[in-house]
Amino acid sequence: MTHSAQSPLSAPPHLPRRRLRVLGTSITLLPPVRERAEADLGFDVDFELQDFLSCQRQAAMRPETYDVYEQCFHNLDIVWFWGALQPIDLSRITDWDGVSDLVKLGGISKYAGRGAGDAPVKKLYIQPGGFLGSKPSRHISMLPTVHNMDSFGFDARVFGNGPDVRPSWAWLLDRRAKGRIALVDEPAIGFFDAALAAEASGELQFADIGNMTIDEINALMKLLEQRRVEGYFVGTWREGGEAAALVEQGRVAVQSMWSPVYGKLTAARAHFVESAPVEGYRAWHGGASLSRHLRGAELDMAYEYMNWWLSGFAGAVMARQGYYISNPARAKDYLAPEEWAYWYDGAAAARDLHGPSGDLAVTKGSRRAGGPYVDRVRRIVIWNTVMDEYNYAARVWDRFVRRVAEGAEA
Amino acid sequence: MIRSSNPLAQEPRYELITRVLRENILSGILPAGFVLLEGPIAAVMQTSRVPVQAALRQLLEAGLIHRFDGRGYLVGDGKTEVTPIRRDIRDLALEVPDEVDDALQTRGTWRHVYDQVEEEVASCQIFGEFRIVETELADHLGVSRTVVRDVLARLQERGLIRKSASSHWIAGPLTARTVSEKFELRGIVEPAALRLAAPHIRYAEVEALLDRIGTDPGITPDFLGDALLEHCIAQAQNTALVEMIRGNRLLLSAVDRALIRLGLPRDEDTIEQYQTLFDLISRHPIDSACEYLRDHLSITARRYLARMKIVAVIPDAGSFAAYLSPQ
Repeated sequence: MTHSAQSPLSAPPHLPRRRLRVLGTSITLLPPVRERAEADLGFDVDFELQDFLSCQRQAAMRPETYDVYEQCFHNLDIVWFWGALQPIDLSRITDWDGVSDLVKLGGISKYAGRGAGDAPVKKLYIQPGGFLGSKPSRHISMLPTVHNMDSFGFDARVFGNGPDVRPSWAWLLDRRAKGRIALVDEPAIGFFDAALAAEASGELQFADIGNMTIDEINALMKLLEQRRVEGYFVGTWREGGEAAALVEQGRVAVQSMWSPVYGKLTAARAHFVESAPVEGYRAWHGGASLSRHLRGAELDMAYEYMNWWLSGFAGAVMARQGYYISNPARAKDYLAPEEWAYWYDGAAAARDLHGPSGDLAVTKGSRRAGGPYVDRVRRIVIWNTVMDEYNYAARVWDRFVRRVAEGAEA
Repeated sequence: MIRSSNPLAQEPRYELITRVLRENILSGILPAGFVLLEGPIAAVMQTSRVPVQAALRQLLEAGLIHRFDGRGYLVGDGKTEVTPIRRDIRDLALEVPDEVDDALQTRGTWRHVYDQVEEEVASCQIFGEFRIVETELADHLGVSRTVVRDVLARLQERGLIRKSASSHWIAGPLTARTVSEKFELRGIVEPAALRLAAPHIRYAEVEALLDRIGTDPGITPDFLGDALLEHCIAQAQNTALVEMIRGNRLLLSAVDRALIRLGLPRDEDTIEQYQTLFDLISRHPIDSACEYLRDHLSITARRYLARMKIVAVIPDAGSFAAYLSPQ
């Protein structure tokens, strides 16, 4: 070309701000995280927030619509094997050494329970042939970030709350709560709350609760259907807001719960209690993955963003909604000592504590159920899981959920 | 085999076609000089061209039709000069005796529609359990219920559908257990068949495939899997074994194709494995290829099980034919 499109007198070219697109769920796509990331990184960060199932579907089938995918390890079977993601090179992850053995080895110490089902270590490292496994390699499928040990919440006026009370998953099928029981509607999550309840109540036994057979799934659904017909279930929920509403309206005496929901309670805060089940916790682990299409400068931005995630600020935001980060030492720098003491050490709150958006989450003097992180993490019995028979289980679960909804309307 | 009460149903199809054409020539509905073309006749008879060719040869030998300086045959013995009449045979009201029609329908139509139905019935099963209503299938295909029953009988014979306790036809659901069992069976019988096939493998085809894998970016695992079956495994001189292998793969292949239709990207790892496998078959003792095939199948099974999981998060509306009712 002999003729330049740019004359010396024309305005300087307008360079659009660089932009990173993040697809994820309400677990991690919080405004304070995005605002601080943009300020620290110097590029725009777009959040696209979806519910769990839509998020997985989009991640698998339309990888061109996002750069970074924030979800849970247990959905990697779906997204990874659809070829939507690319390996993460550990040599580009700054604080990999700071990431806990919970993910790298499967437990925080060799004596800690590993938990059944999709423990993140089983999906972490990329193996020959593109498989995912626990054998360490240079590449991983998902950078481990936020996680928690979930349980159920209960009405202390129904079940009591003294030192002698030993909360059991069996309460999700307990006669005392008949007509006032709700489950989270997610076949990799609520399904296992029900399975734990069936085992804890002695109704059923599963050879491997983390990979149930068709017969076991059918037996569980038969039990749930019987209880539904008898009127045990008041409903199901998909979002934390719905869970909080069920509690506040006094419609549940026991239900699946997510940690941030306790912070949203108002009048019910006094009597609706987080359990530390005698059988142990159902855990989950989130993380961030790279879309298949990323190359060059865009890939660099994605790595910058992921490294930023493990640099402390995001971990502190997660802590304020009750979630742990995979490298807690960095988050500690961004938390007040009282916050760290409450969320990680299990100490009584020395003052009122605030959630990620600044509203009151914990009142002074209260103590986190289950105690310090190290105690809770040792008591993981199962992880959120996408079993081999997931495609079958998800369909029968959906039918159950629909019947619960129809029954509630009738 | 599908059995029918019509005695003509057992007669070869070309005989039936010969019979229809002969009667229509003798009655004058097909006039002297009429140009008979394979394609339109096959369409009228709802059959492939092969039996039509055989029927025309019979009529030629019988002196009822003759060759001429153009495509097809002319009606008549060719001893007198006639002007070729070029009309579509579908516009003539051919006399087709009911029995023959029925036999052609039964024999022709069910085969004609079967492959499509089989593909739909097999691939829907990843979306759960479905009921097939005979009348809806008949409407959908535009065929009689007799034909539909033949189709359903064949599907049942192939293990793709079953009768429920209330006598409804049910397909699916495809479970991980079924898939694991099918792959386990594949791991047992396919390497064994490959070993038996060794002296009969079409090595030239295998070489051609190896060339193509290197040069053709459009080649798919699906295509290579079929090629492995046809050129290698199915060359085993044991019909029962090959039939069993084909039957066992039916559902897996249909689901594979359904996943590709849903957008499963091309899988380079699997293509690479086929390349290694074909290389072993063509240049090494067959035992090493058999061992590799066993490993390949166990890896494929794991990948397959993982991919099935995505179907649970895909809305299924519009993914299957209208005659399939989700249960």
